[in-house]
Amino acid sequence: MKKNLQWKLAIIVVVIGLCLFLIYPPKDKIKLGLDLKGGTHLVLQVLTEDAVNVETDQQLSRFEEVFKKNNITYLEANKEKPGRFYFRGIPVDQEGKARDLIDQYTRDWDYSFSGDRLTFNLKMVAAQYLRDLAVTQTLETIRNRIDQFGVAEPVIQRQGSDRIVVELPGIEDPDRVKNLIKVTAVLEFKLVKAGPAPDEETLLRDFGGKVPEDAEVVRSDPKRGTQGYYLVSKVATVTGKDLRTVRRGVDEWNNPAVHFTLNPDGAKRFEQVTGANIGKQLAIILDGRLQSAPVIEARISDSGIIQGRFTPEEADDLVVILKAGALPAGIKYLEERTVGPSLGSDSVRQGLMAGLVAIFAVMVFMIFYYRLSGLNAITALILNEIIIFGAMGYFKATLTLPGIAGIILGIGMAVDANVLIFERIKEEIAVGKNITSSIATGFSRAFSAIFDSNLTTIISAVFLFQFGTGPIKGYAVTLICSLVANLFTAVFVSRFIFDAFVPTNAKRLSI
Amino acid sequence: MQIFKKTPNIPFLKYKWIALAVTLIIVVAGLINILAGKGLKLGVDFGEGTLIRVMFKEPVSVSEVRKLLSEVGLGDSIIQEAGKESREFQIRTMEKRTTTQDQEIESHQILADRVIQSLQGEEDRQKLAQGLLDLNSIDRASLTNLLRSVAPDEAENLANKIVDYRTEKGIIASWDELKRAPLNLPQEITSYLESRTFLGKMTVLSRETVGPQVGKDLRKKATQAIIWSLIGMLVYIAFRFKGVEYGAAAIFTLAQDVLITMSIYSFTPREINLPIIAGLLTIVGFSINDTIVIFDRIRELQRTMRREKLENIMNLSLNLNLSRTLITSGTVFLTVLSLYIFGGQVINDFAFLMLIGTIEGVYSTIFLSCPVVLFWNQYLKKKKLHK
Repeated sequence: MKKNLQWKLAIIVVVIGLCLFLIYPPKDKIKLGLDLKGGTHLVLQVLTEDAVNVETDQQLSRFEEVFKKNNITYLEANKEKPGRFYFRGIPVDQEGKARDLIDQYTRDWDYSFSGDRLTFNLKMVAAQYLRDLAVTQTLETIRNRIDQFGVAEPVIQRQGSDRIVVELPGIEDPDRVKNLIKVTAVLEFKLVKAGPAPDEETLLRDFGGKVPEDAEVVRSDPKRGTQGYYLVSKVATVTGKDLRTVRRGVDEWNNPAVHFTLNPDGAKRFEQVTGANIGKQLAIILDGRLQSAPVIEARISDSGIIQGRFTPEEADDLVVILKAGALPAGIKYLEERTVGPSLGSDSVRQGLMAGLVAIFAVMVFMIFYYRLSGLNAITALILNEIIIFGAMGYFKATLTLPGIAGIILGIGMAVDANVLIFERIKEEIAVGKNITSSIATGFSRAFSAIFDSNLTTIISAVFLFQFGTGPIKGYAVTLICSLVANLFTAVFVSRFIFDAFVPTNAKRLSI
Repeated sequence: MQIFKKTPNIPFLKYKWIALAVTLIIVVAGLINILAGKGLKLGVDFGEGTLIRVMFKEPVSVSEVRKLLSEVGLGDSIIQEAGKESREFQIRTMEKRTTTQDQEIESHQILADRVIQSLQGEEDRQKLAQGLLDLNSIDRASLTNLLRSVAPDEAENLANKIVDYRTEKGIIASWDELKRAPLNLPQEITSYLESRTFLGKMTVLSRETVGPQVGKDLRKKATQAIIWSLIGMLVYIAFRFKGVEYGAAAIFTLAQDVLITMSIYSFTPREINLPIIAGLLTIVGFSINDTIVIFDRIRELQRTMRREKLENIMNLSLNLNLSRTLITSGTVFLTVLSLYIFGGQVINDFAFLMLIGTIEGVYSTIFLSCPVVLFWNQYLKKKKLHK
């Protein structure tokens, strides 16, 4: 073998060897997309306005307190909209004092006096920061919940300013996870003042039909059986933030329940309130819905139990969300795609079948039409496939169903280069040139056409990759890989095979 | 072996008027259909409703499915049978524009839930209400929990076996299946399962809902992908061809590839989703490349045959390249056909579009790209000379 051919062989062997190494073992190296593996793809939006709203409420009540403490009088204090609240009726002579206090307490709010009205506006930068923080915290909370729930290899990513993409492979019960992600999970323990009553009117009869200032009405969670309205105190004794540990257990009737312990601060408050209210009911409220209202039988300090006719799954899920904490803002689903595992494995099977039939059909055609040279093209084609998967393994690309379509299409396109070359060689032979120089001219003349052909397709594939989402990106990737690999196999490898197997003085070429 | 014993001599350019007429008819009919008729149907990807794929335990007919859906007021959904045994269906609920954008995705989801519930049927719903679990939709963890009380040590193993079997089959149709190979579950397990679970009438294979906001984004992205790829190709064409006439012809070919393919597609009930956009751009790339190869030949021959009329040179180039055009399009056609036949329901629209596109690409390369150059030279260039 000529020295130059030995070098070429070495390059080919190294490239293919490397690719095989990158593919092996295929189960670990080739990642399947959700459409093939089965799973759920969710896009959700964080309602960042919630965070601004909460901040506005907090600042409003904070300044009410501050003004009261410092003897600044006012007639009315109100939230106008998220990010804006006002005080009305502050006497003119107290304006200076109010200004000093505000400057002392906040830098995130702009304020202005106009007449007797003091208006607070949340600064743009501060609002932006709050929104951003809400998204980051929501993402972390969702990640915690999913980790606690136990999903293998979840993808949880931020997308744009307020969106989060969640990908959960291999989920069999998507609705359960969707609910798990979405619940705000604000847990509150509040003293019951009255109830249960069948409707709000009956409940408020003893209070003159009006909700007392320090109380609010909650409904029991329809999932928890007994229906009814309760009147509970506005201020929570302890909240989810005071929890130290949470675990699943059973209650005294052996039903699933959630056991918890409180941190020292929460425990102190809990002990005080339960001690002072023995015989009364304590409402356990999750996201505004009452779960249960057990009677306080003794002073409880740092541990307790949440019961409420849970199924084992519901109890598990409650533990998960309580451990992971509450969401700082509400969320809304924008997109949901769920592929069940059987459809996914069907797609893999059918894609594989289509691919095998395609490659077989092309092989038969090439051998039939180009004889031994067809064998050369087939070798190039097989190496092409190995390189595609090698490249996908290297780039950690995900194989999707459109990706499989891209590979199958690539099989048809890959032989295009061989066809261009072979047809040129035939023409050269037909005009009477000898075999070796026909091969050389065939390759060099066909090159620009091959380059063109690959480039036009790569152009559109690149933009599809740029603008496409998951599955389409998969298509673009396999198509690009297949076309780039094609330049190597059809031009370099095919040429090598001709040079190695066709003697320099050959009289005939099987083409 | 060769398709043609010697270079064929087909006077392709003779047929230019017929080809132009055929193209016009297709495009005009397509445009009328797109603009005034049923036209192009945007799919779930672009925020138009929900797509649900379900599989039934027993074969059912489309009209039975429709009847179930009409009961909840969703009789106008598009119902397609997929698979061979009349057990798989694809259901597409139509959008409801009455709700505000905020609620729309929620309403899509509510619709989807309603579809699923109505298909489950009264019997299944009652069983669920009684606290029985549906063995055809239960997840591994819950099944493991359930089996713990009858086979504490083997619960996880058994649950995995059952779920894997269900995954392979799509749905478990009868209790006998569990007793037979490959599962061979012992009597005590199956009778326990029979007492605590039931075999749901159907199972959801997949479910896709895209809300209006994401739909709008995807529409924007798809438009960007199309515009940028077309610009990319135009830049390439301009760079590659110095002659204005060839550039113009390539652009014309490109435009008509898109128009013809979409016109034909608009007459099918198929919808436009992201893979369709990808397919369209692939077709354009593929056809442009074919055209470029022919144009290269023309210019090569123009250098050696200076005296020959352009029309004859074009014919010769087309004929010289005919076997290449047919073979490469043929191999692509073979692979796409295989995808169309064996690739399954999910990718079928894409495969169908590629089938049209491959044939259309050959047609446009052979019959339409050269006449444009010819017209340009005959009319526009002459005018310039007269000036």
